[in-house]
Amino acid sequence: MSAGYIDELHEAFHSDLVYRPEDIPLDCSPKPKDLEQTLHGVMKLNGLVIRSLEEIAGRGANAVTYRAGKKFGHEVAKYFQKREDVEGALHELSDLLRGQYSFEVWKPEDKETFIIEENGETFIYLVFHDCIVRQTLRRNGLDQGGPLCQTLFGYVVGAIEEITGRKAKLEIVHTGPNACLKKLILK
Amino acid sequence: MEIHVDKDACVGCGLCVKDCPMHVYELQDNVSVAVRPNNCMGCLSCHEICPAQALEHRGIYAARRHYIDIKVCEMLRKVI
Ligand code: SF4
Ligand code: SF4
Repeated sequence: MSAGYIDELHEAFHSDLVYRPEDIPLDCSPKPKDLEQTLHGVMKLNGLVIRSLEEIAGRGANAVTYRAGKKFGHEVAKYFQKREDVEGALHELSDLLRGQYSFEVWKPEDKETFIIEENGETFIYLVFHDCIVRQTLRRNGLDQGGPLCQTLFGYVVGAIEEITGRKAKLEIVHTGPNACLKKLILK
Repeated sequence: MEIHVDKDACVGCGLCVKDCPMHVYELQDNVSVAVRPNNCMGCLSCHEICPAQALEHRGIYAARRHYIDIKVCEMLRKVI
């Protein structure tokens, strides 16, 4: 290893910055452009973890990721205000998910209300627009609807259960490149 | 939501009719017609499946696409 290269490395990791432990960062120092490589690395790694989990655990992978997501949902929503109305809970949930996922409550033209009763089921359609899972899957060329999507399912169900105290279930109706339609079934 | 089908480009394959989960399209005289545009939830599966790139949605929310590798795109732009 040449001395020039070592000096170059020292140079790259040296700054005149005065760093105080009490400093609270108010913004994210790297510019979005600099974060891009990190983001791609994280997406790639997540994709590989999921692919390996599927190879080893087969269909059991879904159960693992769903459970992990559900725990996360319960954990995060624990600090949110408890409420019985699902509408309010969904509002809280969208705050909770901001930056990672964005969704809206949706209904087909022929339905009058957002809470739909059909074939003995009560449910709400949710259209997920921004989704870090979809981005990760597309970055890795993986199919949508698999184990990584189950983490989001678990997360939403866990959070709704925690906020409302009601049991819920999330089902995929359709996955697309720009949005996914899901059914939040209330029990 | 406004959906426009380019009638000259559409080859009448019916893939969008089959694929759309909200049954937005119908084939009429071998051309796709968006008969229920208000039922569209903006998944854009139809864009991905249409071999003729004949579809256009107006007023849609475009989801974030951080997965696009800008470096690769920059390289491709130089070649193409
Ligand atoms: S975007 Fe999705 S819901 Fe809308 S017309 Fe295309 S396939 Fe149907
Ligand atoms: S998928 Fe494209 S080409 Fe095929 S019917 Fe639909 S609009 Fe026409």
